[in-house]
Amino acid sequence: MEEYPEELRTPPVSLVALFGYSELHASITKYLHSQQPPINALAFPDFSHISLLLAHDDQISRTSSFRDPLSVADSSSPIPSRCGGILKRDWLLKHRTKVPALVAAFFPSHHIFGDPTQWLQVCSDLDSLKSVIRPKNIKLVVVVVQSSPHEEISEDRLVALRKRAELDSKYVLFFNSSIDSELTHSLSRHLALAYYREEGRRIKSRVEKKSSNSLDFNVRYCFKVAVYAEFRRDWGEALKFYEDAYHSLHEMIGTSTRLPAIQRLVEIKIIAEQLHFKISTLLLHGGKLIEAVTWFHQHKASYEKVVGSTDFIFLHWDWMSRQFLVFAELLETSSATGQSFSSSNQGSAEISLTEFEFYPAYYYQLAAHYLKDKKSALELLLSMSEIAQEIDTSSASITPSVYVGQFAQLLEKGETLTLHSITDEEYIRYTISEAKRFQDSLEIIAWLKRSYESFTNLKARRMAALCAFELAREYFDSADPSNAKFFFDISANLYRQEGWVTLLWEVLGYLRECSRNLGALKDFVEFSLEMVALPVTSYDNSGNLRNKNYGPGGPATISGRESIHQEVFTLVCREAEPLSSTEGSGFKLATDSPLHLDIDLVSPLRPVLLASVAFHEQMIKPCTLCSFTLSLLSHLPLPVEIDHLEVQFNQSTCNFVIRNSQRPLWASASNTVKSGSQVENEPSLVLVPNNWLRLTYAINSEQSGKLECLSVLAKLGPLFTICSRAESPAAMEELPVWKHENSVESLPTKDPVLAVFGQKATQIDEPEPQVDVSLGASGPALVGEDFTMPIVVTSKGHAVYSGELKINLVDVGGGGLFSPREAEPFSLESHHVEICGIDGAEGNDESESETGGIKKIQQSFGLVSVPDLKEGESWSCKLEIKWHRPKPVMLFVSLGYLPHGSEANTQKLHIHKSLQIEGKMPLLISNRFMLPYRRDHLLLNRIKPAPDSEDMSSLPLNEKSVLVVSAKNCSEIALELVSMSIEFDDELGETSCLIQQGSGCGDSPSSANLAPGEEFKKVFTVIPTTRTPKLGLGSVHLKWRRQGGNITEAYVSTKHKLPEVNVEASPLVMSLNSPPYAILGEPFTYAVRICNQTQLLQEAKFALADAQSFVLSGSHSNTVSVLPKSEHVLSYKLVPLTCGEQQLPKITVTSARYSAEFQPSAVASSVFVFPSVPQAEKANSTTK
Amino acid sequence: MIVCVAVVGHQNNPLYIQSFTDADDALKLHHIVHCSLDVIEERVNNPKKSGTTLNEAFLGLLYPTVNYKVYGYLTNTKVKFILVTTDLDVRDTDVRSFFRKFHAAYVDAVSNPFHVPGKKITSRTFAQTVSNIVGSYGLN
Repeated sequence: MEEYPEELRTPPVSLVALFGYSELHASITKYLHSQQPPINALAFPDFSHISLLLAHDDQISRTSSFRDPLSVADSSSPIPSRCGGILKRDWLLKHRTKVPALVAAFFPSHHIFGDPTQWLQVCSDLDSLKSVIRPKNIKLVVVVVQSSPHEEISEDRLVALRKRAELDSKYVLFFNSSIDSELTHSLSRHLALAYYREEGRRIKSRVEKKSSNSLDFNVRYCFKVAVYAEFRRDWGEALKFYEDAYHSLHEMIGTSTRLPAIQRLVEIKIIAEQLHFKISTLLLHGGKLIEAVTWFHQHKASYEKVVGSTDFIFLHWDWMSRQFLVFAELLETSSATGQSFSSSNQGSAEISLTEFEFYPAYYYQLAAHYLKDKKSALELLLSMSEIAQEIDTSSASITPSVYVGQFAQLLEKGETLTLHSITDEEYIRYTISEAKRFQDSLEIIAWLKRSYESFTNLKARRMAALCAFELAREYFDSADPSNAKFFFDISANLYRQEGWVTLLWEVLGYLRECSRNLGALKDFVEFSLEMVALPVTSYDNSGNLRNKNYGPGGPATISGRESIHQEVFTLVCREAEPLSSTEGSGFKLATDSPLHLDIDLVSPLRPVLLASVAFHEQMIKPCTLCSFTLSLLSHLPLPVEIDHLEVQFNQSTCNFVIRNSQRPLWASASNTVKSGSQVENEPSLVLVPNNWLRLTYAINSEQSGKLECLSVLAKLGPLFTICSRAESPAAMEELPVWKHENSVESLPTKDPVLAVFGQKATQIDEPEPQVDVSLGASGPALVGEDFTMPIVVTSKGHAVYSGELKINLVDVGGGGLFSPREAEPFSLESHHVEICGIDGAEGNDESESETGGIKKIQQSFGLVSVPDLKEGESWSCKLEIKWHRPKPVMLFVSLGYLPHGSEANTQKLHIHKSLQIEGKMPLLISNRFMLPYRRDHLLLNRIKPAPDSEDMSSLPLNEKSVLVVSAKNCSEIALELVSMSIEFDDELGETSCLIQQGSGCGDSPSSANLAPGEEFKKVFTVIPTTRTPKLGLGSVHLKWRRQGGNITEAYVSTKHKLPEVNVEASPLVMSLNSPPYAILGEPFTYAVRICNQTQLLQEAKFALADAQSFVLSGSHSNTVSVLPKSEHVLSYKLVPLTCGEQQLPKITVTSARYSAEFQPSAVASSVFVFPSVPQAEKANSTTK
Repeated sequence: MIVCVAVVGHQNNPLYIQSFTDADDALKLHHIVHCSLDVIEERVNNPKKSGTTLNEAFLGLLYPTVNYKVYGYLTNTKVKFILVTTDLDVRDTDVRSFFRKFHAAYVDAVSNPFHVPGKKITSRTFAQTVSNIVGSYGLN
């Protein structure tokens, strides 16, 4: 695209000429430039420069064969029968830089309206200006520059001015010293465009009249109309006329006879190219992507077959390549490319378009393709004809002529230069010499690179791979093997991945040559081996090996594989004799340079040597023999003999060598296999193509743990080794290029089970440990106590050296040992169960400290070192575990030791023991409050409970309440309870409450034995002294231990927090007075006292319900007023009628002030009725 | 004239590729067939962008290259059929009917109990049928 002149590449720019008043020119020019679209301005300082306007500066005078097309067009003379060319080269430029559409003449107003001499000068300037521009129809504008807007204007002079300039008022403008946008606007819009419109119309009329029968003129006129339309930004008309021009031009092919045949076609093609360029640009800028692509299709289709002379076909390819390139560049720069092209993609046009045709990359690729054609055509031409070879740059005097697409010879005759038309032969000589100078391959590489990058960005990997391949081939042809190799590798990777064998073969053939040229022997061997191992099964050898369609690898056939196989193996398996170079291969090889190939699981060389290894057992005992099968497979076309094989394991002592006894023993031993390791001899080690070579041996290992086969190393000849990663038959992946082949698949091992499930690794057991670890106790453990677990290590045949005991506590039930809920009282520790300590063995403390005594204890993990033990000795320790929560726990104990002293290579033996221990709650503590006997307090909180004190018990202030604390043994073990006491948690509690042991102080037993399920109760009295809604009563402290255990064992202290209580003063207290018992038939007094504890008068309503067992005297219901701080007594006489425990008549008191009703509790208001007076002793014991 | 037909597996590996030209440009045709997979991939992945509806197996023109046109067909098992022709004016119906016959031949070939799915098609009957179909292309 850059080859095109700028005036063709960019839309035309209007031109305005300015005369006079040069100080304004700069600002006006600037303003015109900033217009949208911009306008160029030619500035002439004064009218003396009129002659410069439209002056020709051509130094070349035309010979008679070249006539000025404009003069032809403008003259009214009869249409000439023939003209020199279709388009003039500088016509576009002329309209951009020389021929203005408008001349603006600036006159100061005082020149016009002032002095008559100055007026005359103005008139003469106008006349001379008119004489220049009239023939060209250039518009004239007279601008009167006023010094101030209110200047006096003489109408007469103005009319005279118009008359002189032959202009109507529209073309005479007034202008103040400041830039007036109206002025420039009218300059640009109306006046300049008017010229292009009129010119366009004038020429269009010629086209329409068909005044010219010559197609040449038709093309030219259409072109001009289109250009004028472009000036006016009338894109639609421009497009229409460009297309007309294009079609007329196409008709000229074969009809035009003006120039010699080759040049004639060249001219047409070049003009077609320019027209096509214009059309494509207009379409693309208009956003008509689909139309542009379709247009390009048509353009390509209509000129594809217009080859011209087949001898010089390179001209055509050159032209074709340029079409693609220019369109690619246009597409790339066009903003429309990003748009979706989905709309009316297919169906609307008869040529359906595909995705790629909207990508510049596609065109770049094809441009490169055609340029390649051109290059090869040119090379062919140069090689065929000797004349062509001789052509050098001597014919430099040929230059492009004044017409587009024509060339002429520049002759110097004295001072003047003349152009002469040339013959086809001269033209061809000229083009060949030009083409020779041109570096085609650089262009091809650049375009292909662009295409490659763009396809890569589009994720069109295969297209990119093809571009990379073409690119690499171009590099290869221009002898740049390192760049070529880079791009060949890119495409080889994709072909490998997708299994396109023929394509891969081709690329590898090139890659092989690249490495040969680069002198990279290893690469060369790798590529050769990969090629050889490709699944090429074609026997067809009819293709000519020297056919240029094949790469250096030749056709992909079996014989091709075989010959490469032989070539590479003679190269690498040469004898150790000093060879300076191997014939034909092009490599200089030093005798002592070994070649080592590593084949891993992703290597493309896997088909060359596939090693599958399987142990016959999944688990083996140490020091026993185990069968082991090694299977090798090669896809090389010819059998390969291996000198020796080395099998390498993760335990290097197991490595062994398999030697081919037919081959001489090479002096150079391997590094990986120690001397003295296992060596097997095989009568022959030949890898037959596509057949497994199966070898089974017995190996043993003394070391326990994993034994894994890592790799198999094959040595072929003294200097060549291939190391293949060992694979398990069970996990063996198919070979990527071979998996689609229809070959018969055989199993790597004869045993089909092994072939499916065989593993390349086996587990070697540890030797049996001969040491016993016993855990001396079992559960259940009780929460709070230090649970002791004796651990005894007893040697039974093995001595114990550097023993280590690992202890682990693992939660059984799930939920973890580490999730204390913060709100809970016991969770001060972070663990529910923890190891508190480990007591070293009795009497062994010293030795422990000597050995360094590893003793680490964490909450759920402990590590203790065990002193060295001789056979038969034992050692023990005690583990203390504490439960904070009832929880089952798994205890794991593992002992690791060395049986044979401190030898470094021996392995530790391990013994594992585990035990589940339940953690249980020993005691269940509960408490109960009891109010004073037969005294009922009106506790308002109990009647109308506060919302947040649901379960809180209320106690009356300054009254003695009873608290019963009971502890129940809920474990399965008898416990000894030592003491129970209540202790306050803080100072505040002590001042606000008084707690005493139960009434009979000291007579409760100091310790009690609790069998499972038994309950121990203790009574406390509580007198709250402070009125508070939340009184902390402290907590119960319980000391206990297992019954019958060790006397020295410490007591376990358990805490139980008592609930908080609500303390309030009661306004009314009702107490019942009745004898402790009654006797049938004997009356007794039953008094109810209502005591007012407030400073207010209390009105109390009472109601007494009848009871069946008693006869009652007294008022049933009434309302009484109780004075402040006094009491009212209701007295009744009752006669019991029935024996036994009887309910006294129930009294209900209702406080009017608090509208609260309360009753004594049922327990308090009952009495036992004896049938007769009991005896004194009996009575005494019952009251106790 | 049909110059090349190919069957490409769902891993984009060639299962059957046969060219029908006398010239030694098999390699070029392999490249063309291989590149056309990009277009199929794009059509399948972005059915909206390319404006085609993938309701049918026939994919239409994949792309024109220098002297060839490439057509594609995608079966339900993601096996692709690719046709390379040198004809400038190709009737859609011809190509469609070609692919229909070709598909039938392919189904016959892979229905062979001795054929392992995913392996290359080496059946001679299939090759013969294909060359018959190619021979009769465009005659009706």
